[in-house]
Amino acid sequence: MTRTVEHVVCPTCGCLCDDLVVEVDGTRVTQARRACPNGRTFFKSYDPTPRLPRVHGREVEWNEAIAEAARMLTQARSPLIYGLSSTATEAQRCAVELADRLGAILDTTSSLCHGPAVLAMQSVGLPGCTLGEIRSNADLVIFWGCNPAVSHPRHFARYSLPPANRRSRVAVVVDVRPTATSDIADLFLQVEPGSDLEILTALRALVHARPLSARAIGGVPLANWEDLAGRMKSCRMGVVFAGVGLTMSQGRDLNLGELFSLVAELNDCTRFAAMPMRGHGNVAGADQVLTWQSGYPFAVNYGRGFPRYGPGEFSAVDVLAHGEADAALIIASDPLAHLPSSSAVHLREIPVVAIDPRESLTTRIAQVVLPTACYGLDAAGTYYRMDGVPIRLRPVISSARPTDEQALQQLLDSVVRVSAGAVPTC
Amino acid sequence: MSATVLQARANLTLPVEADSITPDRIDGLQQVAVGNLPILYGREWAPLGDLFAVSGDGRADLVLEGDLTHVKRIGQGMTRGTIAIHGNAGLHLGSQMRGGEITVDSNVGGWAGAHMAGGRLRIYGDAGPMLGSAYPGERRGMTGGVILVEGSAAARVGERMRRGLIAVGGSTGDFPGARMIAGSLFVFGQLGPRAGAGMKRGSIVSLGSLASGVLPTFQYSCRFAPGFLQLYLRYLLRWGMPVTPAHLQGQYQRYTGDINTLGKGEILIYDQH
Ligand code: SF4
Repeated sequence: MTRTVEHVVCPTCGCLCDDLVVEVDGTRVTQARRACPNGRTFFKSYDPTPRLPRVHGREVEWNEAIAEAARMLTQARSPLIYGLSSTATEAQRCAVELADRLGAILDTTSSLCHGPAVLAMQSVGLPGCTLGEIRSNADLVIFWGCNPAVSHPRHFARYSLPPANRRSRVAVVVDVRPTATSDIADLFLQVEPGSDLEILTALRALVHARPLSARAIGGVPLANWEDLAGRMKSCRMGVVFAGVGLTMSQGRDLNLGELFSLVAELNDCTRFAAMPMRGHGNVAGADQVLTWQSGYPFAVNYGRGFPRYGPGEFSAVDVLAHGEADAALIIASDPLAHLPSSSAVHLREIPVVAIDPRESLTTRIAQVVLPTACYGLDAAGTYYRMDGVPIRLRPVISSARPTDEQALQQLLDSVVRVSAGAVPTC
Repeated sequence: MSATVLQARANLTLPVEADSITPDRIDGLQQVAVGNLPILYGREWAPLGDLFAVSGDGRADLVLEGDLTHVKRIGQGMTRGTIAIHGNAGLHLGSQMRGGEITVDSNVGGWAGAHMAGGRLRIYGDAGPMLGSAYPGERRGMTGGVILVEGSAAARVGERMRRGLIAVGGSTGDFPGARMIAGSLFVFGQLGPRAGAGMKRGSIVSLGSLASGVLPTFQYSCRFAPGFLQLYLRYLLRWGMPVTPAHLQGQYQRYTGDINTLGKGEILIYDQH
């Protein structure tokens, strides 16, 4: 029998659209109305059939898998815990406790996407706002180094360019190549790769009417930047959405620091905000949880018994590229698919425990695989939207699988027992 | 020279944090006591003697041998004595050091000399990123001392430095002297792009070539022969940096910036013509 569930939250990307109407037939989602193609795939491709955990490719009982995972992690001298961007804050909290107990290095996918934005925020502050404020008030929307038409397809309709007031707002895209987002923009500025910092410093100078000698910046005539600076100063409310084109190009946090400084200075003459265009559903939550638990948002090392911060040193990509981890626990992430090959190679060489509702490249090479329930589908949990607003996810189907939080709690209990000298129970 | 010698027992691949390897800690200790100093190996404390063979006469001067690529924080916070490293050294070499001298035959990892306040760090190979710079969240990087690199330095050398001298014989990566507050940075090879981004005061001196033009927020000031440069260059020549007579007698183009901050910083570019 088919039933309909309303006001469902899609946990796929940082938009966390909460207006979906989902049709469920038994234990499968058959329709996800209002969802974009990315969201529809997420809902319809999920198979909640209970699966047994695997240890070295062999299906085993849950307790045996937990005991083996605890053994692997406690025997490691330099364990790494990584992922966390597609799981609920409840599970993230457990992961922090586990890292603390193990003396592990803990990192999230933030370090590969918007970590530099967090560094810039710590350095110069972030003049932010909520997506609701942007929906209601913004009349100048700038997309810098991001392509939400593909990565966050409902961002326009729900937050940045709602159809009802599309005509009253100007959309500007700054990017190194034409994209699906630049196709719908009122103004597209195609810039040279790696020139973001020059442009942002120039915009800061132009906003303050300071003289510039260059005739073109980033391959775009100075007159265009003067025009943009004028629009920024004269708008009623403006916002810049910063994508990984800014955070992962040369300059990284320096680019973001310059952007946040520019936006802060614009608030002397109008209302302006900046917002990192967070990708994964709960990567913003991972920053929040790690910050309130450890004091730092990502790249945290508990090796000395207290948290230490080391972007570039304790980031998973660096730890793995330098071969400095001898076991890894991967939670709700697929680093083999996303990490640079220099890091992925090492991940293939060390014992890996994977906690994930779905099969992935990483679960295929993991020595221990713990199949869990999926938040927003068959588990309840809290996610943070890209603007830092927490949203509660409800299950739309029932399942017999444990949640990430339950799996991590059991793993934590087992680690405590192993550390105390007890023989792991199978 | 008599010294305490630490020879790495094996190729260490997991991270080792060896902030106990400083002349201050080792001075006056017997070999056994040196071997018992704690170092962090991965997430566990281990006696130094488990990872290094200790020999020598127990003096404060240290010689380290072997591949120490994964050994971090050597000489952290040292105030006196010398450390000679025959091989590569890991991250944070000589960070927060206040005195003494460290020499490295080969390459060093990132953040060497970060927050350094005094002493001298001499690297005969290449330096990793963030040489003499600030740690995330800190307002000031290097506040004193001298860093000499014969090879190249990676990105963001001297970021947020407040005082002191960094000289790089080769080239630098992106953003040399970014957010510099004061101090001096000399580059004999190619000065990396976006030099001095956000700098307030201080001098960046390019004695070789430029990877790209100066940022638009720097303004051309003049062409001249700065008197103070003679003084610095003579010291650098004495320390073995590749200073030529032309550098000493030549003219320099001066750019000032970054106008988005104080605008009192300068980039001096040796005029080859
Ligand atoms: S925009 Fe994002 S949150 Fe909204 S439906 Fe699409 S994938 Fe889901």
